[in-house]
Amino acid sequence: METRFLLPNKFKLIGWILLVPSAILGIIQIFYLAGSGLKFLDATTFTIYSGSFAPWGSSSIIFGFDKVNLTGTIIGILFILGSVMVAFAKEKHEDEFIAKIRLESFLWATYINYAILLFSFLFFYGIGFMYVMIFNMFTIIILFIVRFNYILYRSTKQLQYEK
Amino acid sequence: MKNSLKVERAIKDITQEELAKIIGVSRQAINSIELGKYVPSTILALKLSRYFEKSVNDIFKLEQTD
Repeated sequence: METRFLLPNKFKLIGWILLVPSAILGIIQIFYLAGSGLKFLDATTFTIYSGSFAPWGSSSIIFGFDKVNLTGTIIGILFILGSVMVAFAKEKHEDEFIAKIRLESFLWATYINYAILLFSFLFFYGIGFMYVMIFNMFTIIILFIVRFNYILYRSTKQLQYEK
Repeated sequence: MKNSLKVERAIKDITQEELAKIIGVSRQAINSIELGKYVPSTILALKLSRYFEKSVNDIFKLEQTD
């Protein structure tokens, strides 16, 4: 039985084209620009909640407009779209065997993701934990992509020994 | 569960690739079934049975541990 709700196969390539550059840009932005953005992406935009850690503080904006920088926003959106396309595009020969690998990889990715998060809860604090949260938004899908494609690759490699 | 897929394939003299195409699954699926790493669905088992013109019970057999 094939998995329902998958994207057509061609989205896999489009996904990689979005995923790779946005991952590189994201890492550059976080580590080398320390989260600041490109000047020309300064904008006034609608926000549901924008403010500091203290909720309802005087500087908080709720359902209003705020002056923000959209660098992280754009990189994040491109990364999410790219990774979802890569993860959920059909394989060329999508079948029940691949559906099984897909499901198992998801379980595996979820376990590992929460193992990492559990570890981070114990050993990261303050702004360090904020960085963990930023990366944790994307780890589950990255883990899935890595594991799923590795198993596919391994079972394709096995074919070479088989006549 | 064990199966005689590889033997059946040898009798018909077709490769995994050809069988996969006829049945409409990936080559990896056929390979994994032969290696005993994957248990096919009823639909896939019936399709294999239809192609080899043998009953499912002749291709797939339960083992003691099942």
